[in-house]
Amino acid sequence: MRNRFYVWLLFISAAVFVLYAVFAAYREATPEWKKYQLTFKEFLVKNAQDAETRDKARALTVEIQQIYLGALGVVDRCTSCHIGVEIPFMARAAEPLARHSGEYLKNHPPDRFGCTVCHYGQGRATNKKEAHGLGHDTHWDYPIIPLEYIQSSCATCHDLEMLRERGGGKLVKGEKLFRDKGCKGCHKLDNVGGVLGKALDGVGSQSIAYFPMTSPIAMPSVKGEKTVYSWMKQHFDDPRNLVLGSEMKSDFTDQESDLLTTYVLSLRSGEMPKKYRRIKETPGAGGAREDGETLFRMYCIACHTTGNESVNDEVFKRTIPAIMNPAFLKAASNTYLKKVIEEGRAGTQMTAWKTAAAGLTDREVDTLVAYITKRRPGERPEPFRSAGYKGDAAHGRELYKIRCISCHGARGQGGVGLNLRNPVVQKEAEPDFLAITIRDGRAGTHMAAFGKKGVGLSDQDIADIVTYVRTLSKEKQPQ
Amino acid sequence: MNSETRDKAVVSRRDFLGTASLGMVVLSALSLFAGIFRMSKANVRYEEATKFKIGTAENFPVGTVKKLDDKGVFIFSTDDGLHAISSVCTHLGCIVAVSETGFQCPCHGSKYDENGKVIGGPAPRNLAWLEISRSVDGSLMVDTASAVPAGTRLKLIA
Amino acid sequence: MSDMSRSGMDRMKENLKALKQTVIGSFLRSGRPTSDRSRAAVMFNNFFLHVQGVKTHVNTLRPAYTLGLGLASFFLLMITTVSGVLLMIYYNPSIENAYNSVKDITYVVFAGKLARNMHKWAGEGMILFVLFHMARVFYTGSYKSGREFNWLIGIVLLIITFGINLTGYILPWDQLSYWAFVIVANIIASPKELTDSLGITQYFDIGGFSKELFLGGLTPGKEALTRIYLFHIMLFPILLFTVLGAHFWRIRKDGGLTKPENFLTTAVDGEMLTLPEKKGGIFSTNKTYGLMELAKGRTPAVDKDIENTVLSWPNLLLAEAAVFFLCLAAVVVYSFYADAPLKELANPLIPENPAKAPWYFLGLQELLSYSAFMGGVGVPGLALLGLALIPYLDREQEHVGIWFSSQQGKAVALRAMAVGAMVLIALLVFVINFGWFRTWWPNVPQLLITLINPGTIWVGFMIAWSFIVIRKTGSTRMGAIALFTLFLVSYVILTYVGTELRGPNWDFYWSKSQWPVH
Repeated sequence: MRNRFYVWLLFISAAVFVLYAVFAAYREATPEWKKYQLTFKEFLVKNAQDAETRDKARALTVEIQQIYLGALGVVDRCTSCHIGVEIPFMARAAEPLARHSGEYLKNHPPDRFGCTVCHYGQGRATNKKEAHGLGHDTHWDYPIIPLEYIQSSCATCHDLEMLRERGGGKLVKGEKLFRDKGCKGCHKLDNVGGVLGKALDGVGSQSIAYFPMTSPIAMPSVKGEKTVYSWMKQHFDDPRNLVLGSEMKSDFTDQESDLLTTYVLSLRSGEMPKKYRRIKETPGAGGAREDGETLFRMYCIACHTTGNESVNDEVFKRTIPAIMNPAFLKAASNTYLKKVIEEGRAGTQMTAWKTAAAGLTDREVDTLVAYITKRRPGERPEPFRSAGYKGDAAHGRELYKIRCISCHGARGQGGVGLNLRNPVVQKEAEPDFLAITIRDGRAGTHMAAFGKKGVGLSDQDIADIVTYVRTLSKEKQPQ
Repeated sequence: MNSETRDKAVVSRRDFLGTASLGMVVLSALSLFAGIFRMSKANVRYEEATKFKIGTAENFPVGTVKKLDDKGVFIFSTDDGLHAISSVCTHLGCIVAVSETGFQCPCHGSKYDENGKVIGGPAPRNLAWLEISRSVDGSLMVDTASAVPAGTRLKLIA
Repeated sequence: MSDMSRSGMDRMKENLKALKQTVIGSFLRSGRPTSDRSRAAVMFNNFFLHVQGVKTHVNTLRPAYTLGLGLASFFLLMITTVSGVLLMIYYNPSIENAYNSVKDITYVVFAGKLARNMHKWAGEGMILFVLFHMARVFYTGSYKSGREFNWLIGIVLLIITFGINLTGYILPWDQLSYWAFVIVANIIASPKELTDSLGITQYFDIGGFSKELFLGGLTPGKEALTRIYLFHIMLFPILLFTVLGAHFWRIRKDGGLTKPENFLTTAVDGEMLTLPEKKGGIFSTNKTYGLMELAKGRTPAVDKDIENTVLSWPNLLLAEAAVFFLCLAAVVVYSFYADAPLKELANPLIPENPAKAPWYFLGLQELLSYSAFMGGVGVPGLALLGLALIPYLDREQEHVGIWFSSQQGKAVALRAMAVGAMVLIALLVFVINFGWFRTWWPNVPQLLITLINPGTIWVGFMIAWSFIVIRKTGSTRMGAIALFTLFLVSYVILTYVGTELRGPNWDFYWSKSQWPVH
């Protein structure tokens, strides 16, 4: 009885094993790509014009197709399914057998470039889902690039000059937008740019895990495919939906955000071997001379907009000064402006732009100052001779509490008004500049004129306030 | 009924089960071995293409011999045209060198004349002549996987 | 001359004719196994079979006694070995190519995915079955009566099984591998936690030294992968097979598997037990041991009667073949449907969240979340020490070969299971809700946490409970049953908590569906 039990166990187990060996063999013999290749072969045989081509078509072996390019690190098996990409008369065939669109393959033959160099996706995979790499469960860092952003790949080998004429329009437009919208005001690229956002070098080839798909607190996540491409596009549409506490400006149209996505995705790390590159040597750092307007667009416009009026920014929760307002320029000296640009304003979003920090050269800062001050009124403000008054800080403090506190805060920390505790204000702003600003106010902002012509403070009162304001940094930081 | 036949029936049934089990075991072993051998055969090869470009005809002035080391091919340019001879010895795969009489293999001393015909040593066959073709863009291509009859030359029309 | 040569030629012809017979005959030296004598010869004449006795006790053949667990562990090892060698044809142990070669195995190698799945699942199955086998040996009291040292060998095999699984987990070099590797490397470095607390790290940095030796550097990189590969395919297998040989040999020398002292045959057993055809020699009712009788002392089997034994061929071998094919079929069927995981390529800059160890270590990882040293080194070290000492602290020789020894044993095991589960769950609920020392006093010294944390408290409870049982029952065996049951309970519960209830940032979640979507 017992031996019969063991014999039955042996028989059933062995039979199950043999059965599954057959299943496994069947599964191996019927991969996804095989049916496409068989269809392709059938098509070739049917449409053969003469006996020779028909024999050739019949002799075609159905097997995994692989493009192996050691120098590029490319192992692409895409043509196992997309076997008709190079065949002209497959132009009307349905995917995956269709010929590649356009004339791209003429200059980029697959046997020299592979597929994933431009399209991304998982070249080694031999089924559609994993080859395209879409969906979180494929665990592939570089899913296939949606066609609307495909031009981002061109920049791997080509420079913008060439792309402008040769069908890289989206990328070129995206690059222009990137400069005009002041993205580098917050994002560093090639060692130049602000520090509020993440540096963008190589961001186009970052893995999915680099991008926060959800914030730690439950927030709506990326819609649609959870890819870097969706993230990039949607973060232009609504940055705070994807990154908790993001301060990014985002007034882009749908089309603009598409173009920007294309451009940002083209910022990839890793260089192609030289023989693949078609990039003219760009002039070295400092060689390119941008004019003031271009620089202002690249680095300032995102926050300061036109620069004519101060804005109370909802995201920053502070007022962004109107730096091109004539009233402001009338009082601020060039040295002061240059100092502010170079050192930034600690405690605010204003970045320090000097070479050692955000990476602007000395000359570029000068160019910017010149551009900003180009609308400075000819006449200088009536001078204020601080030296002539002995400031009384105690009296200044009383006046401050009455006049200034509502906008600049109890300890000068700012609110509607600017932060007066700022080191640059404290150290670099001359007393005369402060006094003139208090006396004459700043047109186009909430800062009223407090002098005789306005609220009616005497020059001595103003000098007292200035003295007090310059002691603010010693007061305790408000809690 | 006598107990003898019933015993026999039991025995034969048990024997049948035993034989069937043994058969299944043998089948399992066979399928396992077949799978293992099939698995050991690689489905893809990590080799660059056997067909490669060698540039235009101007690279090969008449009367010269060029050795393409990394591809294992000699390109001969004569008045009759271009021909390619494989530099892989047909004996055991060493790379032959040009000698006074033709080619000589450094490994086991096989000798060939200038047309690749064996004239000495252990080599069993002549050196292979390889196909030279023109690609669409006008450059010449050699395919080391495609042998042609000795004497096949690509005529160069000036 | 010609006569001579002709007869030489004739003989040659005869030899050729008899070739089939003589070749087979030289292989099966005792002819076909048709008589008891030749059936016995099958066993003792064969190098691979002679580690097993010529005759086997029917108790061994009862499926309900052994459940075939040890055999299953061994056969799973055979399956991993064969599939592992096949994977080695394509696997490339370098950080540049490891991941790609595993991708190739899954995508283009014929049945490569199946082979990888089989390797993975049979390997992890080994952990389960080795633990089950250990439980069977323990609950039937089979670590007694001369088998104490074999129990220790078994524990060594358990450790190697864990080690070989873990090193295998690292080889694909994906995110799972990399971050498990980082965690393990830092567990190895965790004695630093203790030496730091004592302020002696600068003189005696055993943790840092071990980690560097293990990694061949300070971070998991190419040197480290080479070492892991060496461990996985060379050192651990050699060690495993050598120690396994000793394990088997000792079973044979200890007279086969344990059986109850007063063995009663059932009707089913009776069918197998036919009278020996011959008398005398090895078929006498008493074993004789030839030269061995001269040796002093006794092995457990000497002088024991051999009634109730049957010939190993074909009875034992049939059972073994059945278990083997059962394992093979189970592994193939499971591997056909369940794929071994392979995540993104290892990225040293972005950890998986949660970065989980393989499931068989998640119980430890739960303990690690309290204290790296205690969870990674202290508590598992104590647990292994406790397991190793069991046969030496419990030397009662009664009830060997009987599941749970007695009704009382069953009750003790059940009670330990119930009480243990309740205490451990209560402890975990407390920790998850209220935190531990550092939650309450942020500046508490690390040494205090190292010494007093939920892990050490649980170990303390296990020991205390076992002593209570020994006192109450007056039996060390009962204490051992309580201790071992608590060990199993904690392994299961902690593994479950670590696997299912811990999510990103090692926070508590009732199920994976509540994790924030990635």
